Amino acid sequence: MSSDPIAALIARCAAADRAAFRTLYRDSSAKLMGVLLRMLQERAEAEDALQEVYTRVWLRAGRYDAAKGRGMTWLIAIARNLAIDRLRARHEDHSDDGLDSVQDTTPRAETRLIAKGEAKRMADCFETLDPERAEVVKGAYLDGFSYLDLAAQHAVPLNTMRTWLRRSLQKLKECLET
Amino acid sequence: MTDAPLNQREADDALAAEYVLGVLDRVDRAEAASRIKRDPGFAAMVTAWEFRMGGLNDGFAEAPAPNLLPAIEARLFPKPARAGGETGGWFSGIFGWVSGVLVGAFVVLAVVAFVAPPRSMRIATLATVDHRLAYEVVEFGGALKITRVEGDSAGAGRVHELWLIAPGKAPVSLGLLEDTPLIVDQPVPPAGWTLAVSLEAAGGSKSGVPTGPVILSAEIGT
Repeated sequence: MSSDPIAALIARCAAADRAAFRTLYRDSSAKLMGVLLRMLQERAEAEDALQEVYTRVWLRAGRYDAAKGRGMTWLIAIARNLAIDRLRARHEDHSDDGLDSVQDTTPRAETRLIAKGEAKRMADCFETLDPERAEVVKGAYLDGFSYLDLAAQHAVPLNTMRTWLRRSLQKLKECLET
Repeated sequence: MTDAPLNQREADDALAAEYVLGVLDRVDRAEAASRIKRDPGFAAMVTAWEFRMGGLNDGFAEAPAPNLLPAIEARLFPKPARAGGETGGWFSGIFGWVSGVLVGAFVVLAVVAFVAPPRSMRIATLATVDHRLAYEVVEFGGALKITRVEGDSAGAGRVHELWLIAPGKAPVSLGLLEDTPLIVDQPVPPAGWTLAVSLEAAGGSKSGVPTGPVILSAEIGT
């Protein structure tokens, strides 16, 4: 039950426990800030987005189902969704090509440990993909690249990129589910 | 391409994956997002992909976040509990100290300078013609916040109830409008939908439909 402390905190937020909300912020904000900084690349916007993310976390806590997956994964999904919405709302020509990141810390040991099993399987499944296509999937997931960005980066037509990516995702899914 | 055409389920699953990965352009993404809200089967596919891709999350390094809790709590809980009330967490301790001291004004200014103001967007104003009673509806963080900006509560034994009405559909209650702002986990309704306020007995309509007179209404986005 307490093997996922973040999940337990989200459940308490769903019961309107404000103290749990503060603990959740303390224990998860560095990770979510890392997500938002990497994707949005601007500190002021990342901080603004972080406020919105936690607002959503509080309001939607009741929808989290611990049976479906880890609490941190759910939080990151909310942060990524918001970041992608904001990226797509920017002008298409504003797509970031500079990847110099503002990252300054490595994931905490315990976070790495908990997520290790998941990450290991994912890494194994990535091994089954063509290396260039694996990079495409990672670029989209971690940096929020759109089809347009990816097609330009890899100098292929958009439809080709779409076919690559759909096939890669399908392969990943099959691998993860076996 | 050489792919066999996808059946509907496969096509939906591929779209869910693309949505989660975030590669869709703005228009396709908005379409997928609205589908999540009305199609539980598709929503479940999206959730499955969100957890499925969790194995990549190690790729995000942590980055120290400033303490934005005061701003977040101010958005969520319009009247924050003062220190000494419930839990004396580290935040309420600081908050109590700030609010208790005159220099507080300076500290608050400093916070305002460093924390970008939350983005909020006015969706609608529900008002009587003479504006003696008015509610303002704003969007923030994917939720709606409804605040009475003019006039008084419904009076003893009665309450204002807020309704959302899709074109040609029955009204759905969004909650009761009291003295504190109402926050509803409801995305901005599409243009053409209607927000309405009815006058109900204390506790609100029991039947799930408005039983008292509709005193205010506004159509979204026109």
